[in-house]
Amino acid sequence: MDTGKKRWYAVWILGIFLVLLGGCGKEEEDTIVLRVNNWEEYIDEGGWEEEDAVVLSDGTVILPENGMIEDFQEWFYQVYGKKVKVEYSTFGTNEELYNQITLGDAYDLVCPSEYMIMKLIAEDLVLPFSEDFYKNTEHHYYANGVSPYIKKVYDELEINGEPLSKYAAGYMWGTLGIVYNPSEVTQEEAAHWDLLLSDKFYKRITIKDSVRDAFFAGVSIYQKDWILDPDFLEQNDYKEKLGELLNLTDSETVEAVEEILSRIKDQVYSFETDSGKADMVTGKVVANQQWSGDAVYTLDQAEEDGIFLCYSAPEEATNLWFDGWCMLKDAIAGDREKQMAAEAFIHFVSRPDNAIRNMEYIGYTSVISGGESDQISQYIEWNYGAEEEETDTIDYEISYFFGKEYFVTAPQEQTKRQLYAQYPPVSVMDRCVVMEYFDQEENQRINRMWTNVRCFDLAEWWQKK
Amino acid sequence: MIKKELYKNWYGSGEMNKNLFSRKQLAVPYAIFLLLFVIIPLLVLIYFGFTDENGNISFANFIRFFGSGKTIGTLLYSIVIALFTTVFCLLLAYPAAFFLAKGNFGKKQAFIMMFVLPMWINFTLRITALKEILTLLEGNLAYHPFFNTILCMVYDFLPFMILPLYQALCKLDNSLIEAAFDLGASEFQVFYKVVLPLSVPGIISGVTMVFLPSMTNYVVLDMVYNSTYIMGSLIGSYFSSYDWNNGSVISVILLLMIGAVTLFSGRITKQEQAKRARVLK
Repeated sequence: MDTGKKRWYAVWILGIFLVLLGGCGKEEEDTIVLRVNNWEEYIDEGGWEEEDAVVLSDGTVILPENGMIEDFQEWFYQVYGKKVKVEYSTFGTNEELYNQITLGDAYDLVCPSEYMIMKLIAEDLVLPFSEDFYKNTEHHYYANGVSPYIKKVYDELEINGEPLSKYAAGYMWGTLGIVYNPSEVTQEEAAHWDLLLSDKFYKRITIKDSVRDAFFAGVSIYQKDWILDPDFLEQNDYKEKLGELLNLTDSETVEAVEEILSRIKDQVYSFETDSGKADMVTGKVVANQQWSGDAVYTLDQAEEDGIFLCYSAPEEATNLWFDGWCMLKDAIAGDREKQMAAEAFIHFVSRPDNAIRNMEYIGYTSVISGGESDQISQYIEWNYGAEEEETDTIDYEISYFFGKEYFVTAPQEQTKRQLYAQYPPVSVMDRCVVMEYFDQEENQRINRMWTNVRCFDLAEWWQKK
Repeated sequence: MIKKELYKNWYGSGEMNKNLFSRKQLAVPYAIFLLLFVIIPLLVLIYFGFTDENGNISFANFIRFFGSGKTIGTLLYSIVIALFTTVFCLLLAYPAAFFLAKGNFGKKQAFIMMFVLPMWINFTLRITALKEILTLLEGNLAYHPFFNTILCMVYDFLPFMILPLYQALCKLDNSLIEAAFDLGASEFQVFYKVVLPLSVPGIISGVTMVFLPSMTNYVVLDMVYNSTYIMGSLIGSYFSSYDWNNGSVISVILLLMIGAVTLFSGRITKQEQAKRARVLK
C-alpha cells in the first residue's frame, strides 16, 4: 500500500474515533459523578401546578418546582460542601437492568425489585453499605425514617446467610392484586385469583405480561383449596408455610401452573405490559392484574373520568414486592466519596417530605414511615382523611407500618380503594408472601413453562379441528 | 490544482496511484459501519447459537428448537401469518399498482403519494389508530386475534408490496401488450401470458419485503392483543430472560430461511430472464 492510501485510511479511522470520543465530555475534577439507574417514571420530576400542592397539617406546603435530582445536587452541596452530578437513566424491566449490568454498563446506584436485588447479591455484584449508614445521625433520613415493618422484612430475608438490609435500602413497596370495576365485578368475585379463569368475564380481563406475576397468580389458583382450608389458615406457622407453598418451583407445580396459565391465555383479553391501565379507564376490560402502585394511579385516572374502580388483594395470597436501592461494586470501585454520595442520595429521597413528593407524583407507596417526623401520617390524613360532614367513615388501622398505634378516619369506600391499595390493612399483610429469586435451574424451568404457554399449541389446535 | 485532481479521481479515471480519493477509499466509512454493526453482531449471533451456557460448542439449542412441538408450532404459526399477510398484500397491491402504472387518468402523482404517505408515519402510531377503529367495529378485539393480526400486518406492509410492483409494471413496455392484443390474445391471456410473467421480479421483491419481516413483527401482535408468540416474540422472550443461546439459535434459523428464500427467488428471476431472452430472440 502506498503512503497516500495509508494516509487516507488513517484520516478515516481517526475521524471515526473522534466522533465516538466526542460523547465523552470533560468532567470537572472536584465534581463527584453519580450514575443512578431507576425505573421509568419512578421519581418526582418537579414542575407541579399550584392545585397539585400537598398541604400538611403542620403548615408544610409541598409544591416542588425542580425535580428531585436537581434538589439533591443542591442539597448535597449545601450539606457536604461538595459538588455532585447525577447522571440519571431509567430501565423498563428488572431483566433489562440485569442485562445492562452484566453487559458492562456501569451504574453506581440502581433500584431493582426484591428478587433481582437478591440475585445481584447472590452473584456478588452489590457493595454493602458503610458501617454508619444505619446510624441515627443528622441527614440519615433512611435510617431514621424507614418503616419498622419494612426494615424487619429486609432484616429477615437472607442471602447466603446475610440479611438483605446490609446491601439494600427500600424505596417503594406494595402488593399484587386485581383492579376491578365494581359495577361489573363483585367484591367477592375479585377476592380470588381464579377470577382470571372466569367464563363470565370471557375476554374482559387482562393479566401482566410478566413470567413472575403470572406464575404467582397461577400458583395461587393451583393451591387455592389447600391455602383456604381452615386447618391451613389456623396453623401456628401459617405465614412461613404460605411462603414455602408459593415459592415452590418443582416440576409438578410448574406443570400444573402451565396448564392453568394456558387456560388463562385463552380466557383473558390480553397479556399487557402497560395498556391495562388505559383499557380499564376506557372500559375495554372490567378487571386486570395490577401492582398496587399502578392500581392507585388507575383508580385516580378513572375517577377523573367519573368512573369508580376498586382494588383487591386476593384472599389466597398476595405478593409483597419492594424496589430498593443498592450500590454496584464494580462501578463504585472503592471510591469512598462516590459511595458517600450514593448513600446520601438514598437518605435524601427518604426525607419524609421527599418521600411524599415521590408518592404523590408516581402513586406508589414509600417505605418511609417518618420516624420522629409525623409528616407521612399527616400526608395520609390529607390524602384520605374523611371530611367533617361525612358520616359513613371507618377508623382504618395502619399501626403495623408505623410501629406504633395509628388510625386514620377515612370514608368507608376507601377500604377497597386507594387507601387499601397504598396502605393495605394488616389482614392483607398476613397473607403477603415475598417471592424469592429463582436459581438458574428453576429459572430455566419456569421460562420454558412460560414459552410453552405462549407458543402456538399444534396438538390443541388439531384436537379442536 | 488539488480540486482538479480530486474530481479526476472521483470519476475513477484509473489513475489510482494519485494521492487523493479513489472510489475504493470512499467506501471505507460504510465498510467500517458494516463491520461494526452487521458482521461482528452476526458472528456473535452464530457463536451464541452454537454454544451452551458455559461456552462449550453444542448443537443442543438447535435440537431443542426442532425437538419441541411448541416451538415448531410457533414456527408454523409465524409462517401461516406471514403467508396470509403476503397473499392479501399481493391481492390488494397488484391491481392498485397496475392501475397506478398503466391507468390513464390525471393526478397520478397524487394517487401514488396516497400510497406512500402512510409510510411517513410510524407504524405503531398507525396501528394504535386502527385498533380504536377496530374496537368500535368489533366490540372486543380479543375475540378475533388472528383476523386482527393479519389485518394490521397487511395495513403495515402494503406500501412495501405496492412500490416494487409499481416499478416493475412501469418498466413493462406497452408495445408488448399492444402486440399481444394485435396477435389476438384475450384480455385474460394478455395478463396471464405477458403482464404477469414480466412483473415477476417485482412480485418477488415485494414478497421478500413482506413475508420475512411479517414473521418477526411481534409488536403488531402485542398491540392487537394476540397472546400467541411468533418467531420475533420467542426471540425476545429468550433474550429478556438472559438466555442468549436459545434466542440466538432461533435468529440463526431465521437467517437461514432468509438465505434460502433469497437464493430461491434469485433463481426464479434468473429463469424468467433466460426465458424472456429466448422469447425475444
